[in-house]
Amino acid sequence: MALDLNFQHRVKARLISIAHTVTLFIAMSIICIPGLWIVLNSFRPTVDIMAKPPVWIPRDLNLDNYYAMFGGAGEGGVPVLQYFTNSLIISVTSTLIALLIGMAGGYAFARYRFKGKNAIFIGLLLTRAVPGVALSLPLFIVMAKTGLIDTHIGLIMVYVAMNVPFTIWLIDGFFRQIPPDLAEAAEIDGCTRWQAFWKVEFPVAKAGVASAGIFAFLTSWNEYALASQLTRSTFSKTMPVGLRDFTSEFTINWGGMCALAVLMIIPALVLTFLVQKHLIAGLTFGGVKG
Amino acid sequence: MYKSAIRSLLSATALLAIGVASPAIAGEYDGVTIDAKLIGGQQYEALYGRIAEWEAATGATVNIISKKNHFELDKEFKSDIAAGTTNWCVGSNHSSFAPQYPTLYTDLSAYVDADEIAGFVPAMIASSTIGGRLVMLPRAQFDVSVLYYQKSLFEDEANKTAFAAEYGYDLVPPLTLDQFRDQAIFFADPPNFYGTQYAGKDEGASGRFYEMVVANGGQMFNDDWTPAFNSDAGKEALQWFLDLYEAGAVPPGTTSYLWDELGAGFASGTIAINLDWPGWSGYFNDPESSKAAGNVGITVQPMGSAGIHTGWSGFHGFSVTENCANKDAAASLVSFLTSEASQIAESSGGSLPTRTAVWDVVVANAEGDEYRTMALNAFQEGATYAFAVPQTEYWIEASNLIFPEIQAAILGDKTVDEALQAASDAVDEMMRENGVY
Amino acid sequence: MRRKKIPTWFVLIFPALVILAAVVLVPLLFSLYSSFTPYKLTRPDTLFKWIGTFNYQKAINSAVFWAAFGRTVLLLTIALNLEMLLGLGLALLVSRVTRGQRALRTLMMFPMMFSPILVGFQFKFIFNDNVGLVNNALQSLGLTNEAIPWLVDKNLAMFSIIFAEMWSSTSVFAILILAGLFAIPQDPLEAAKVDGCTPWQTFRHITLPFLMPFIYIALAIRSLDVARAYDIVQIMTNGGPARRTELLWTLIGRTGYVDAKMGYANAMGYISIVMAIFFTIFFFRKLNAARSELGMAG
Repeated sequence: MALDLNFQHRVKARLISIAHTVTLFIAMSIICIPGLWIVLNSFRPTVDIMAKPPVWIPRDLNLDNYYAMFGGAGEGGVPVLQYFTNSLIISVTSTLIALLIGMAGGYAFARYRFKGKNAIFIGLLLTRAVPGVALSLPLFIVMAKTGLIDTHIGLIMVYVAMNVPFTIWLIDGFFRQIPPDLAEAAEIDGCTRWQAFWKVEFPVAKAGVASAGIFAFLTSWNEYALASQLTRSTFSKTMPVGLRDFTSEFTINWGGMCALAVLMIIPALVLTFLVQKHLIAGLTFGGVKG
Repeated sequence: MYKSAIRSLLSATALLAIGVASPAIAGEYDGVTIDAKLIGGQQYEALYGRIAEWEAATGATVNIISKKNHFELDKEFKSDIAAGTTNWCVGSNHSSFAPQYPTLYTDLSAYVDADEIAGFVPAMIASSTIGGRLVMLPRAQFDVSVLYYQKSLFEDEANKTAFAAEYGYDLVPPLTLDQFRDQAIFFADPPNFYGTQYAGKDEGASGRFYEMVVANGGQMFNDDWTPAFNSDAGKEALQWFLDLYEAGAVPPGTTSYLWDELGAGFASGTIAINLDWPGWSGYFNDPESSKAAGNVGITVQPMGSAGIHTGWSGFHGFSVTENCANKDAAASLVSFLTSEASQIAESSGGSLPTRTAVWDVVVANAEGDEYRTMALNAFQEGATYAFAVPQTEYWIEASNLIFPEIQAAILGDKTVDEALQAASDAVDEMMRENGVY
Repeated sequence: MRRKKIPTWFVLIFPALVILAAVVLVPLLFSLYSSFTPYKLTRPDTLFKWIGTFNYQKAINSAVFWAAFGRTVLLLTIALNLEMLLGLGLALLVSRVTRGQRALRTLMMFPMMFSPILVGFQFKFIFNDNVGLVNNALQSLGLTNEAIPWLVDKNLAMFSIIFAEMWSSTSVFAILILAGLFAIPQDPLEAAKVDGCTPWQTFRHITLPFLMPFIYIALAIRSLDVARAYDIVQIMTNGGPARRTELLWTLIGRTGYVDAKMGYANAMGYISIVMAIFFTIFFFRKLNAARSELGMAG
């Protein structure tokens, strides 16, 4: 009898595990296939991508789209390296600044009581609700007049502002989960508030900072609408704006666009993979409490 | 301080030089920098390679401060006008967009010799003249839609017999819009093969509608700019789109298509007849990009019920801003980019010239190339029927009110009469609000 | 006597306030002002003509505007709820994986690497009725012999847009909820196990309440962002055909830049901000409620 029950348990556990694997596989397929389709298209000639009847088994895979992209102007070339550098400078700088400002703000909201706190908090968040079209023209006017148009600094400022509310909110949420007595205990042990923050609270909130960082980076890396308005030459154009180089009045070079897209995706993917492990720091927190 | 003094001295010298000479003289614009906002995109870039020649000849420097496609440039120009930052000098322009910027660009006829202007196709100069001012000089990027078709379909004996039996006339590439419709319906075999397709959104839809209204003997606007397309000619035009859609002769998604989908559609070999732009001719016949390659026929665009050919056309050009500090140098650059030599160079990439003399060169160069000669014959005849968009500042705004109603009629949300009435009312209200009448 | 010090909290949030004032608040005041003028980009002098609430009245009386408004609310509601549910499911699925989880988590975030403009092009081609991936697959598998007009049909067009939007954004929910799952204290879970709770009970009464703040954070952030799906929609359908997918953002963008009627566009923008404020405050209330349940209210 006991053996039987045990057996039933094992069968049930096994079934659940299989169902789990299958569901996970399907979910991951839906997530990955449209993306992998882009990667595949970057290696194919247009005649195969838009084929009917469709070409299911990839044939004639080549690097033509990549060669063309790095080629000269007029032969399909776009200034990829310049776009890449611009994107990198703008995204990394704006992410770091947004994280610093956001951590300060998030800490203030999580740890201090002050008048009008909720109102300020909501006010900050509402800045994200502002439609881009209401901002883009005045921003253009201000930046055109101050010479910030088509510069890295201009776009960095905009992205910091875009990311700060989100960063504050996210980090605030993580700080809130750390019991204040942890830091207080450290202060009693002779740490200053500053030391207590870096030694006790920051490591625990690292997961929050890491995910806020990923979000901020990806937002800046992928933003198009404002970038297309505030940049205009290779001096500051970012990669999403560069995608538009593959479209013209009548045509679109889909294979070429996919090739540039792949170059956009890879660094973001690598960075996400590297930062992943800091998310696990959240687990440590669970251990601390237990 | 010192540096800027030198610079202003230099530009003063350059200004002095203006009255003296018209063709580029070595060092004429030494030290002058021309800021330019140019259209980007593969087929437009080759010309910019020639800018170095002009720089060497005149001593000026060209600083390309913006390179985008026309829709993005249009947004930027409007933002610039709003911000008052229009002291850059040379901008890419397009006949369909040009009427929207009444204050931005200067009258080039003051800076360019009349002889030189006479070298362009007169109709282009007419379309470039807005409110009596020559706002741009056209480059070798002229577009008027002609008829592309798959040759084998028209050579097939079974097709010929079946078509003649059903419609009572011979199967040859369509001369009229009615024949176009008959044949498209005849060839269609959804979902694997379609008779034709059309631009179903944005200015593409309004533009196609516009040219068919004209071909049917109507017009979009009366002389006082009140809407005139809610007419028999307009109804006939809209009905044409609707008939094709209802018969399943066009892909069901055609109302979501714009030029790139249309090009990809014909290149996929699943479309029989296609009214499309000259720029595609090379692409359609290239086995790398098109399944129809080797089987492409090109002929002049069809006529409407009034015996007028369709011919909504557009072309690219360059303009000089009113606030440019050195308009002579800027105009010299524009002349250079639209000169005979530049047009010959640019049209060697397959685009169409806007200078009479260059047409002859292009045709002569194509000799021996059967496909290219057929294409050029069609383009050349097609160009004689070309007409630009209505010359009002509010054409794009009107287009944005018209195309959703065209779509509504095609998709059956509204009848043809209702849709045209609604579009006409909306345009009328818009014109009133803008103080046109 | 000690000098009165600037409070620490103010020092800490000051940089955030400055940058947001500079980049958002000041431009916003300009937009607000221009919504009371017939401001047309190509005629800068129109900025100085005051016409009162004309633009607002025009918007409020416009059927096109309200249809876009309603459709936007519909899109928000459907997309957000589905994204939340799927994101939760995905997070739970991934959290159960023990080996290779880091790679799996990265894969899960794959769609977040795609710029919205790219997502727009991607799904425009995938849903193309003639040569698109979906129809080709369905026809090859023999599931249909029709060309389904994904981007045109009344319901399918909205579906396609929502699908593209969900594809690109479900990951945001999943990763936030996953971070929340990792932060759950272990002892209540173990206590529940000892007390003999079923997995469902444990999930319902311990895991879920703990996750709620994270879910609301994600919901509120996304409810503001989903309105920025403008890039995707603009490229996929641009509000068409026949305004079937017209959202506030495509309508406002076209009016402001293509028609150059910035004054009117801003008036519509301000009306729709009201909607965004409503959603934000709604989720913020929920967030605070969820937090006080956990004793973490500020």
